[in-house]
Parts: sequence; C-alpha cells; structure tokens
Amino acid sequence: MRITLLLAASACIMAAVLVHLSQVEGRLLRADPDAIPTNAALMAFARGRGEALFVAHCAACHGIQGQGAPGRGIPILSDSDWLYGTGLVSDIEQVIKYGIRSYHPKTWNLAIMPAYATAEPSARDSQIPSLSPGNIRDLVEFLIHEQGRSADSAAADRGADLFAGAGGCYDCHALDGKGDSAIGAPNLTDRITLYGDGSRESLSMSIAYGRHGMCPAWVTRISPAGIREVAVFVYSLSHPG
Amino acid sequence: MMSNVRQVSSRRSFVLMGSGALAGLLMAGYSLFTARGTSTLVVPPEDVALVNQQPISRSDYLQQLQTLYGVDLRHATVTQRRKVLDDMIREELFVQRGKELDVASTDPDVRAAMVNSVEMEIAADAVTSQPSETQLRAYFALHHARYASEGIMTLRDYVFPPSESSAAAAAAEALRSGAPTPALLARSQAEEFYFAAKIHLGEPLFEAARNLPDGGVSAPIAGADAIHVLYMLKNKKPVPFDFAAARDQVLTDYLHDAISHLRTGDESFLRKRANVLIADDVR
Repeated sequence: MRITLLLAASACIMAAVLVHLSQVEGRLLRADPDAIPTNAALMAFARGRGEALFVAHCAACHGIQGQGAPGRGIPILSDSDWLYGTGLVSDIEQVIKYGIRSYHPKTWNLAIMPAYATAEPSARDSQIPSLSPGNIRDLVEFLIHEQGRSADSAAADRGADLFAGAGGCYDCHALDGKGDSAIGAPNLTDRITLYGDGSRESLSMSIAYGRHGMCPAWVTRISPAGIREVAVFVYSLSHPG
Repeated sequence: MMSNVRQVSSRRSFVLMGSGALAGLLMAGYSLFTARGTSTLVVPPEDVALVNQQPISRSDYLQQLQTLYGVDLRHATVTQRRKVLDDMIREELFVQRGKELDVASTDPDVRAAMVNSVEMEIAADAVTSQPSETQLRAYFALHHARYASEGIMTLRDYVFPPSESSAAAAAAEALRSGAPTPALLARSQAEEFYFAAKIHLGEPLFEAARNLPDGGVSAPIAGADAIHVLYMLKNKKPVPFDFAAARDQVLTDYLHDAISHLRTGDESFLRKRANVLIADDVR
C-alpha cells in the first residue's frame, strides 16, 4: 500500500512540476522579451534551459561561451558590439528565429558586402561598380585613417571620396562609416573586425571579394519557448550577473 | 512497515491501475489541448490570436508593432495594439480565403511566390545543417582551383592600322629590345583586375596578355579593325588562397551546392509521387 502511495505521490509531484514548468514557460513567452532581464526568476529559468539549447544548436559555430571566432566571421556573443540590432532580447530572438541570410523569407538579408574585384560586385544591385586595385588600396587607407591608425593621407582622401561617392559604401555603412545595425552593416571606424585581423590585407580581401556571413533560421526547429530561452541565454552572456 | 510487493493484493492492483489510467488521461488531456494543430479554445502563450485555429505569432505581432509604430508592447497604446492585431487577423482571414478560392491556380503572382517560398524553404533546411570544418576542408581540397585572388595587370596596348603590319612588327621589336619607342598610338591602361582587362581588351587580346611576364611584349596581333602589340608593365597573376583565406567563400559554395542538391532531390521526389499526364501532341 505504501508503495502505491509512493508511486501516486511521485506521479502527482511530477505532474505538478510539469504544470509549473508549463506555467513558467507560458509567462516567459507572454512577457515582453526586453523586460525579461528585469525579472530574476524568469531570467534564471530561461538562462538555464537556454544554455542547453545553445550548446546543442549554436555552440558548434559560436563556441560554448559564445566566444565566436574573431577573424573568421563568427561574431563574439559575449561582448557589447552587436552587428544586428542593439543586443536586446527581442533583437537576439529575431536573429535566432529567422537567421541571417538563411533563405527564410523573414531572414535578415538587406546588406551583402559586394565583391568589388569582380565584374559584377553585387548580384542584387547592378549600380554598384567594380573597383580597380588602386581604388581598393585607397579605400583601405581611408578605413585605416578612420580607425585612427597611421595611413597614407593622399590615398585616404581619395578613399574618402570613393566611400562617399562612386563606391557606394556609404549606402550601407553610413556617411560617417559607423554602420547601421538595422541592416547588419558594421561600424568601420572602430577596430572590431569580424573578418581577418584588421590588417590592410584583410580589409582589402573584404572589399575585393565581399562578405556574407550566414546564420540558420531556427524557427521550425526549436520551439518558441526554446528560442526565447536561447535568446535570454545569449543576452546573459554579455550581461553577466 | 513496508508491504510485501510479492504478495498478491487486489486493492493495490486496482489503485495502480487507477493511477495509470489517471496519469494516461492527464497526459492525453494535456496533449489534446496543447499540441500544435489541435482545436483549442486557449491561445498558446507563443501566439496572440488563433484565427480558425491558425496561430498569429506573438513575436511577429511585437515585430509589427515595432515596425509600424516604433514601440514595444509596454509602450504601445491600446489603439496601436488593436490596429496591429486587426491587420494581422485580416491578413490571416484573407490568406485562408485565398486558399479556399485556390487563388494559386489563377494568380501568377501567387504561383511565383509559392514556388519561390518552397525553394527558399528547401534552402533554409540545407543551411541549418552547418558543415564541419573537416567537410569544408574536404570541399576546399576538391575545388581548390576556384579559390584564388583576382590577377592584376598593368598593360600598354599599342594599336596600328591594319595596313601597317610592318610598323607593328618594328614596334614590337623595339619594345623587346628596350629601345625608346617612337610616338606610337598607345592605349595606355592603368592597373586593373583581370576581369576588367578582359572586358577592355576582349577575349583574344586578354588571352595573349595574361601570360606575358613583366616587361613582356606580344607579337603583333591582328584584330578585327587594327593590329595590337601588347606590352606588359606588370602582371600579378592570381595567387591560390589557402583554406583560411578562402573559408568564407568555401562555406558559401558548399551551402549553395547543398541547396542545389537538395532542390534537385525534392523536385525528383515531387515528380515521382505526382501523377502527371501529358497530352499526346506535346509529348
């Protein structure tokens, strides 16, 4: 009889736990995603579960601690530099859901770095011209100058004209070169580089051959609650404590 | 005192059976009212509405609020919330009606959008499986010829009228010997990438130019309307990339191939399971 009672009690406890988890999950999903960080209980709940999902789905590229692979185009998720959005939970959630250039109809796919050393730098915009090797060198000098490093000033001046003119760079990176996180165009005036080491050679490679990183869309593979949990976990990487 | 589990107890059997049945019912009930696609009166927490059981995603709703009014849920007014929700419900209703009317059979835009959508979905599936570094390296090894820098050349193209073949030959000789060239009609070209040189020179001249070393001079080349002598000032031939330099492009190409493979497979599957009848006169 006691075994029976024990079993029944275990079943009840299990059911209670499941109901509780389901309720917290519901609260997590109904909450304003950007308000979650102010709710310690929801943060703790989501962070723990999100970490497991992150390890299973994201860590292969981003690393278990979100350390990314600087220089290889895989962003660090534990710093405060955000290429897409501003690092809010809702921004992160959108990226996880629909990805970057993932082919999902709602994916983030507005900005693609053209390959200027090719006959057709952009498959989407035929107005973007090819550049000569000299043009590319000038642009590199301009970027180096904008980052406060020592550059050939005459070349940098020519590069500035190209940047704000014929090259069309300003269209995504803005006239001040500070980029636009609404479309994932990086700030070129800081020294944070997603590809290469920031050297002239690696900057030249980016301009000559283009860049177009990719992140899969998880909307059909991870549940809505799971996606939010991963988003909260990723948020917590750059907001420890 | 623990009861002996080996001892037969009809009461225990009933309790266990009852517990099992109860647990089963609870699980069935839970699944019935929470599983996706089941008819329910409760809006799942990830959604803001159900329209004929079709969910309207909460996240899409929040995104729409942000896009239309630049506000989050906390700061949206009741009117803004209602407007966005009404619009989304309206859209869903019209989509459902569109399905009922089978608009895809008549509207070319809908058909094109559906084809595109299915292709995108296949592609999205392909990119979700990111390749390992080993797979990428193997792909790179197999296609390494694709991955090289664009060559750069600085070339002078001396052009002679078709009737002046001897002058062209003399100029070529003078250039080879390093003698000062007379005032020749030269299309002096700036440093440019191979692809640009190919466009400017045309295929035959470019093919002759690409293999010239620095300071090299071509034999006179008869073109359609002139004779050309090419003088290569500097020729920086394409340099193969190592894996690290090419990785970004390798990943893109790998995924494109995977997408293409998957699309072909899906199309083949669709054709296989379809019943396609073709009229005799167009077979």
